[in-house]
Amino acid sequence: MALRRFNGIMFLLTLVALWEFAAQAEWINALIVPPPSKILKLFYELVTSGQIPMQILVSMKRALAGYLLAAAIFIPLGIFMGLSSMIYRLFEVIVEMLRPVPPPVVIPVALLFFGLGDEMKIFVIFFSCAWPILLNTIDGVRSVDWVLLNTARTFGLSGLQTVWQVILPACLPQIMTGLRVSLPIMLILVVISEMVGSTDGIGYFVLDSQRRFKVAQMYAGMLALALLGYTLNQLFNLLQRLLLPWQRGLSRQND
Amino acid sequence: MKRSQPFNWLGWSSFALLLATWELISRATPKLLLYFPPMSRILAALGDALAAGTILQHGWVTLGRFAAGYLLSAGLAVTLGVMLGYFRFLHGLLATSIELLRPMPSVAIIPVAILLLGIGDGMIVSVTVYASVWPILINSIDGVRRVDPVLIDTGRTFGLSSWQILRQIILPGASPYIVTGLRIGLSIALILVTTAEMIAGSKGLGFFILDEERAMNSANMYAGIVVVALLGYTLNRLFLLLESRAMKWRHGMMARQAA
Repeated sequence: MALRRFNGIMFLLTLVALWEFAAQAEWINALIVPPPSKILKLFYELVTSGQIPMQILVSMKRALAGYLLAAAIFIPLGIFMGLSSMIYRLFEVIVEMLRPVPPPVVIPVALLFFGLGDEMKIFVIFFSCAWPILLNTIDGVRSVDWVLLNTARTFGLSGLQTVWQVILPACLPQIMTGLRVSLPIMLILVVISEMVGSTDGIGYFVLDSQRRFKVAQMYAGMLALALLGYTLNQLFNLLQRLLLPWQRGLSRQND
Repeated sequence: MKRSQPFNWLGWSSFALLLATWELISRATPKLLLYFPPMSRILAALGDALAAGTILQHGWVTLGRFAAGYLLSAGLAVTLGVMLGYFRFLHGLLATSIELLRPMPSVAIIPVAILLLGIGDGMIVSVTVYASVWPILINSIDGVRRVDPVLIDTGRTFGLSSWQILRQIILPGASPYIVTGLRIGLSIALILVTTAEMIAGSKGLGFFILDEERAMNSANMYAGIVVVALLGYTLNRLFLLLESRAMKWRHGMMARQAA
């Protein structure tokens, strides 16, 4: 494993070295594909001057607002829809009609209603994160063991207690799956909505750099986005380990 | 989840109620007319646009780009994924690069693509390929790796050639995962096509919708969204149909296991 990892890193370094050499020797157009050393240097400058961190902060505020709003509304709705087949049928058609809409198409609608401000992006992210969260929550609630529910009833737990103490812990892994699937969607949609209608944020930064032909700056922005995506994923893993400590043991046993 | 259920009267009535409320509110408050044109007006706009052929033209353009990008990326990603899943050395070589590129939100590639390829079809198809490659690739690698080694050894014992092992053991074994990847890739491809058309297009449904918004023709904008939603819905249905055809043998096996 360690050896294979070493191979992978060496391969990547070779690629980057080749790129550097090709750009320096002007085999490739260095105006369009600048050497990695130049990109990294600029990236360092943009990070230390605070420019990139500020743009990321702006984007993350929007992204998290939409994401958390979607979680706050669609996890409870999913629990209700999973518990009651009447509520499920009530919303089923509306959900099935809205779900196939590709999220970026919602941007013009949001532009119409909210203009260029933060609300526009928050709405778009909210809309696109909703479906994976909702569907996974419904699935999770439906797959809760009936014996658990009957036991809860036998012990005289009230409806709210059952939801809080039995159903929620039992379907938390599925809810987390929905939240995990929505995480990259959130990042993609904040970038898209900033590219289509914004004056700040990391998505705007990258597209604007391209339009002003600041090519190295564009690549530096992309590097920042890749690091951001990676960090978000790691943070989510950490959160999952904290919230679901029993899952880890279980899945390791299954292996 | 999809059992053959009776018609969902409740769901359709709540949907109809929603549309009726929309229609009434929009007619009662002229101030909202721009944001919420009545449903009847949207449908009329859709009818006009269909009759004039404009929306169909844009639809064809989008569908063509989508099909080219999606099929290319499926072919590329499945081939590469099976190879990476099968040859450990190759996987070790590329794994780090994949891990570094994958977390970057795929739309960030659009500015680079504009720089390198301009704003034509080539750019839009390329970003579509790039974005939908990831889920298909990762799932294919996973699927191949999860094929029971005993099956492969058994195949070898029976004297199957490497090609036969690939065709008869590995591909069928990995196919459920590959299909999952292909399904995720489908919706991502549609997202990327419409996004690229919004950012740098002069044709296609993504362009049409944003353009109508900027021109304040909100009825046309909603009509465009209805068409995109229908397109997404149809493509998804088509995929599920093909999937259930192609994976019929698997349902039989699952049923037997359950019995």
